[in-house]
Amino acid sequence: MRPQFYVSVLDPFSKEAEEIVRNSPPLDSLPGEICDRAVKRLTWRSGREMLVGSSKDEVQQEVLSFYLMCQGVASVSHPYSREVRFVSDATERTIKYRIFDLFRRGEEALCLEIVKNHLRLIKIEDDGRLGDFQIPKQDIFKLRDIRLAKDGVDLMDDRTLAQYIPRYAVRWADLSPLLKHGRAELTKLYIIKGWAVLTPRDLWDFFAGLISVRTEEYISSLYERFYSGKGAPQLFVGIGERISSLLPPEIEVERFAIKRGRLRPDFFPPCVKRCMAGVGAGVRNYAITVLLTSFLSYARISPSGKASLKISDFIDDISIITDEIAPLIFDAAERCNPPLFKDQPQEKANVFYHLGFGMTVEPKLADSGKSRWYKVPNCNKIQISAPSLCDPDETCKKIKNPLTYYYLKLAGRAGG
Amino acid sequence: MILIVLREATPEERKIFYCEEWSKKDLPDFILHTLSLREFGFDLDGSGPSHRYNQFLTVEQLADFLRSKAPYGAYSSVALYEHPSLRKGWLKSELVFDVDAKDLPLKRCKCRAGEICEICIDDARGVVAQFVETLRSDLGLREVNTVYSGRGFHIRVTDDAVMKLEGAERGQLVEYITGSVIPTDITLAFGYSRIFRERAARALDRIDEKKIEEAGLRRALAQKLVAEKEKVVAMMRSGKIGEVERIEGMGPKSFRIFLEMLAKINSELTDGKVTIDTKRILRLPSSLHSGVSRKCVLVHDIDRFSPDDAIPKFLR
Repeated sequence: MRPQFYVSVLDPFSKEAEEIVRNSPPLDSLPGEICDRAVKRLTWRSGREMLVGSSKDEVQQEVLSFYLMCQGVASVSHPYSREVRFVSDATERTIKYRIFDLFRRGEEALCLEIVKNHLRLIKIEDDGRLGDFQIPKQDIFKLRDIRLAKDGVDLMDDRTLAQYIPRYAVRWADLSPLLKHGRAELTKLYIIKGWAVLTPRDLWDFFAGLISVRTEEYISSLYERFYSGKGAPQLFVGIGERISSLLPPEIEVERFAIKRGRLRPDFFPPCVKRCMAGVGAGVRNYAITVLLTSFLSYARISPSGKASLKISDFIDDISIITDEIAPLIFDAAERCNPPLFKDQPQEKANVFYHLGFGMTVEPKLADSGKSRWYKVPNCNKIQISAPSLCDPDETCKKIKNPLTYYYLKLAGRAGG
Repeated sequence: MILIVLREATPEERKIFYCEEWSKKDLPDFILHTLSLREFGFDLDGSGPSHRYNQFLTVEQLADFLRSKAPYGAYSSVALYEHPSLRKGWLKSELVFDVDAKDLPLKRCKCRAGEICEICIDDARGVVAQFVETLRSDLGLREVNTVYSGRGFHIRVTDDAVMKLEGAERGQLVEYITGSVIPTDITLAFGYSRIFRERAARALDRIDEKKIEEAGLRRALAQKLVAEKEKVVAMMRSGKIGEVERIEGMGPKSFRIFLEMLAKINSELTDGKVTIDTKRILRLPSSLHSGVSRKCVLVHDIDRFSPDDAIPKFLR
C-alpha cells in the first residue's frame, strides 16, 4: 500500500504535491542534490531512473526537483520555446513510464484514483458493455489493432496484449486541453454517448499529456511573473542555463519552435497594432518609445537563456536594428498625430536609448549595454500608462504581457 | 420544385410585426435566462448589423427597443460576457453550427445562387437532423437547440461541457460533426467512423458523374459509381467498405481519391468559421428576418418543422 502523498509522483499538480512544496524550505534555498535532480531529470532515459520510491524523502525530492526544473526553465526561456518543449516532453515521458510501471505492478486502483482527479472515468465491462451500450466485439478488436499499429507492435504475450484492449472510457470533453493543444484528435476517438473508449495505453498517453500541458501552462505563468517582477533568483537562472545547455540539436521542434527571424505583424497584439498605426498626442511617447521599441526588438531577437540582457549578446549584425527594427518604429512615429519626431526630434535618440545603445542616433554594436534594454511592459502597466492602447481580444485573456501574445500566436496555439 | 417566394419586409410591416406579433414568450429559455449577459446587435435599416454593444438587463427593455425601432434585423451574441456592452469579460460561448440552405453542397434542385426552395430547406433539415443526432447520441450533449433562421438553421448547444471550449477544440468538433476527416478505420460500426460513412452516403446519394470526374476519378469509374449509386450508398452505410474498394476500376489510389472527395463535400455542410468564432452574433430567435420576411424561430421537432411555421402574420 503506497502512502497518500505518493500521488505527487504521478501528478505534481495534485493537492498532495502542493502540500509538500508548502511545507518545504523556499525553492531558492534548496540543497545542491535537488538542484542537480532538477536538471538531471531531463536526461533520464531508462525506466529505472524515472521511478521513485515510496519514502517521504524520495517523494519530496521528486516534487521539489520538478518545481525547481519549472522555475529554472521559466527564468531563462520564454513560453513555447524549445526549452519549454524539452521540459514538457521529458515530463510526459516520465509520467507515462511511471503510470505504466504501476499498472504492471498491479496498482491499477491507485493510478485510476489519480487519473480521476483529471478525467471522469468508467470501466468497460469484460463483455464490452459501456453502461447500457454494447460495444460490438468486432469494434473492440479493431480498436485494439489500431493501437497496435500506432505503436508498431506485431506479436506479444497475453499480458502485454491486455494493454491494447479497450478497458476504460472517459468523457471526451475532459480531454479538451489535449484537443486544444493538438495532442489529441476528436476524429481519432471512438466516442459513444459522450464517452471516449480507451485502451490502457491510450489512458497513459492522455494522462501524461494532460500533466505535460499543465506543466507548459505553469511555466508560462512563472515566466510572466519573473518577467514583470525583479527577475528570477540566481539559483533558478543557473538551473535554467544548465537545462538550456542540455538541449539536443536534433530535438524535434517544428511544431513549437520560436525562432529569431522575420517579424509577423499579423501576430502582433492589438495594443502593438495600434502603435504601428500611429497614435495621437498624449500617448505617442509611451506608444513608440516604450512599448513599440521594446516589443519589436524582443519579438525580433527572441532572447533566451540569459538573465541580464544586452542586444549584442544575441545579434552580431547591427543592420537588424538599423534596417529592420528602427524603420518600423520610425514609420509608426511618423504616422502619429502630430508626427512624433516633428516636435520631439530627441525622441529618435531615446528609441536607441531604450534599446540599450545610450542616447544616440547612430547605434553601434559596441555601444550595446550603455543603457538598459527595456523590457516590454506588462499589460497591467499599459492599461495604467496608456489605457487607450489596450483593446483586448480573446487571446489577450491568456497573457499578461504583449510579448507572450506574440509567442503564443507564433506557436500557432492561440486557439480562439 | 416549389420556389419559396422571399421578399423584403417594408418598414411598416416590421412595425406591425414587432408591435402586434412579436412576444417575449417566443424567446427561447437559453436566451431568456442569460439575456443580460449577451451583447445585442441590430441592423436598423438594412445596411448591416452595425448597431452593436447593446445590453438589456430585462426582457422588457428589449421589448421596448424592438417595438420602438422595429429593426431590420436583431442579433444576440453566442458569448456571455461580464460586460456585454463593452464586449469584455468573456465568460463562455454557445457551440454553434450554421447550416445554410442556400450554401449546401450537391443541391438536388435547380436553385440559383441565393435562391432557396422547399427541397433546399428539406436538405438542410436532413443535415441538421444528422448533426443533432450526433451531438446528442455520440457526444452525449443534452442542451441542443435548433433555430430556423429564415434561410437555414442554427444549432446552438448550451451544455457547460462545450461552452468553455476555444477555437481549436471547436474546429475539431466541426471536423467530427461534418465528417470531413477520413477515419483511421472506416469500418468500425460506431463512433466517428459511422458518422463519416453516414455523411458520405448522403453525398454519394446526390453526386453526379461530373463532380466525381472533377475530383480526379476516371470517367468509366464515375459512370459506374453513379449507375450503381443505390448499391454503393448501401455499402457505405453498412460499413462494407471492402465491397466499395472492389468495384471494377477502383484501385487503392482511386479509392483514396474517392474518400477525399467525400470528406471535402462533407466539410461544406456547415460554415466552420461560424463555429470557431466565439464572439459571433446570431439572428435572435423570435425576431424577423426582414430580408426574406420570415420569423427566426426555435424548432421543437425538426422532423415536423415546416418553413410555413415561420411566415409572419403580415404575409398570411
